[in-house]
Amino acid sequence: MRFDRLVAVEPTDLDIRAGEFFSLLGPSGCGKTTLLRLISGFLKPTTGRILIGGRDMAGIPPSRRPTALIFQNLALFPLMSVWENVAFGLEARGVAKAERRRRAEALLELVALAGSADKKPAELSGGQRQRVAIARALAVEPSVLLLDEPLSALDLKLRQHMRHELRAIQRRVGITFVYITHDQGEALTMSDRVAVMRRGRIEQVDTPERLYEEPATAFVATFVGGSNLVPARVRRKAGTECLAETPLGNFRARNPQDLAEGAEGLLFVRPERLRPAAGHDNRIRGRVVERAFEGPFLLFTIETSQGQRLQVQWLNEGDVHALAAEVEVGFSAGDARILPPGPLADER
Amino acid sequence: MSSGALASLDRRLLSGLCWLLAAIWVFGLVLLPQLFMIETSLWWLERDPQATALSQRIDRLYQEVMLRELDLQAAPVERRPLLEDEIARLREEIALLEAREQQPVKVYGFANYARMSGLHLQVFLRTLAYSVLVTLLSLAVCYPVAWTAARARSRRGRALLLLALVIPYAINELLRVYAWLMIFDYEGLLNALLVRLGLVDRQSGGIPFLTYPFTTFVAMVYAYILFMVFPLYNAFESLDEHQVEAARDLGASTWLLHRRVVVPHARPGIAVGCVMTFMLSAGSYSVPQIMSRGLGGDWFSQLVYRQFFEANNWNIGAAYAFSLLLACLVFVGLVMRLFRVGIREIAR
Repeated sequence: MRFDRLVAVEPTDLDIRAGEFFSLLGPSGCGKTTLLRLISGFLKPTTGRILIGGRDMAGIPPSRRPTALIFQNLALFPLMSVWENVAFGLEARGVAKAERRRRAEALLELVALAGSADKKPAELSGGQRQRVAIARALAVEPSVLLLDEPLSALDLKLRQHMRHELRAIQRRVGITFVYITHDQGEALTMSDRVAVMRRGRIEQVDTPERLYEEPATAFVATFVGGSNLVPARVRRKAGTECLAETPLGNFRARNPQDLAEGAEGLLFVRPERLRPAAGHDNRIRGRVVERAFEGPFLLFTIETSQGQRLQVQWLNEGDVHALAAEVEVGFSAGDARILPPGPLADER
Repeated sequence: MSSGALASLDRRLLSGLCWLLAAIWVFGLVLLPQLFMIETSLWWLERDPQATALSQRIDRLYQEVMLRELDLQAAPVERRPLLEDEIARLREEIALLEAREQQPVKVYGFANYARMSGLHLQVFLRTLAYSVLVTLLSLAVCYPVAWTAARARSRRGRALLLLALVIPYAINELLRVYAWLMIFDYEGLLNALLVRLGLVDRQSGGIPFLTYPFTTFVAMVYAYILFMVFPLYNAFESLDEHQVEAARDLGASTWLLHRRVVVPHARPGIAVGCVMTFMLSAGSYSVPQIMSRGLGGDWFSQLVYRQFFEANNWNIGAAYAFSLLLACLVFVGLVMRLFRVGIREIAR
């Protein structure tokens, strides 16, 4: 998809399964909204095709696609009552008023807003408006529901609550949800599968677990969850593992991309996988330069004698006060990966 | 005195000045003339028939005096004393009669308002009906134009369209109306075109467009188009694009989109445009005067003009003008009631 000379979304093959909760995750400007607008029909692709349920959507306007879009600002109709909002799609389909009202009330019940049918949207709280928007979109019985960062306007508590709510609603109605977000927490907690996007390209499509455990690129590794990356070179390959040479020493790590011997790469370990050193072959010693107590966790940063900083997250088992000024951390080969060099998520 | 205090004094002075100007404007240029007009409409001069005969006689005597004075200049010297005597006698008689003459009595009452003839009342009602038609026609023309301009994707296109609408307003209103006259006249462009196309016989002198009230409507719609376009444009532009997309996405036809989403949102703008266009049309003098040139029916504003400056009866003229103003205000109030628009919304 191009806007003048700007390529917003590169040619992409993306297969979303019926009935799954699918998230498009990426920093702002990565093209996820463009992709959503392509699916909903508000944009026409410059090249390529969009198929929904096997049917080519070329030339079909948004009003006739089996999709319903939930906007970032919800775009509820402020001058209509809640039930009229919900029933708007039915009104467009010429359903009689009594029937519209009946079905709107059934949907409001589904989203736990049974008593608010005659209120105006402005009289509802943020979370309630959210649910009205969902009910309004569900009213047209779409086979795909498209959600454009609908939780971004809510405060943290409500947002966390709405994640469960959305997931529960999706399970109840059983249709495909395509959810756009730049919040990795949202994507991981709600989705069956997640596509991570960067600059109009899809970096990786996977389940939240695999995305976290087995990031394919340095960008995914740094965008999803905390990370430590150290420049490395493949010294020796051994099956799916390898010996990585880094300024901090040589470490055993997995080599999922099968980088050749001598290839440059990045050694990647999650902060919570850097554990107390005992019992690990891979060991790093460093001075504690920063520490943040988070209740269940202790987050701290160590600096090695080479000046490399590493983030560590330890579970609070009642002994964190005893953290020494200098610690040795270790990690197993299974928790470390060598990834091809590439751009990082620039949020840190 | 510190510069801050000086600035605040400046601000107070400036705002005081603004208030003063506004007060002068409202009292001196709106309220006082209106009050004067109302006062004028509430009295008339009354004289009894004898008094009328008397003043006629005085007028005649004055004429005699003038004639004798002319004779006197032309007469030979020997005849002059005789003429001078006669003039002196006439003057005496005039003085005598003038002593008996009474000033006409100024009588207050509502009679001026009751003096409208059936024909004039008909013109009055027709003017109101015509103004309603002009307003509706203007709304029908401006609605799509304003919608297109407000929804234009490119900023450039939007600016160009608005500029094209404003340019005609750089020339005089009379010239704008004369342009229509040139189109609709007997020997005008439209007739020439029809003759050229063979639809009209040249011998017949063309179609007498100017005798149809419709031509006045067209010129008037054109003359006041901006007063309708801009309130509509502002109202449309303030509508969130997502509202439009949401309605489309839910399957709304263009008709439903406008009926349920756009018009309710733009109601205050529509009301402002209609009120302004209606008031301007009902009070327009130049447009019907130029376009119909007495060939079509009169508008009430023309009657008012004639009462003031041809019949030279300011009392009746004022009563006519005030009736028109009152009828318009009542009508506008009704329209606002009908559209459930408050003064406050209009002031937005």
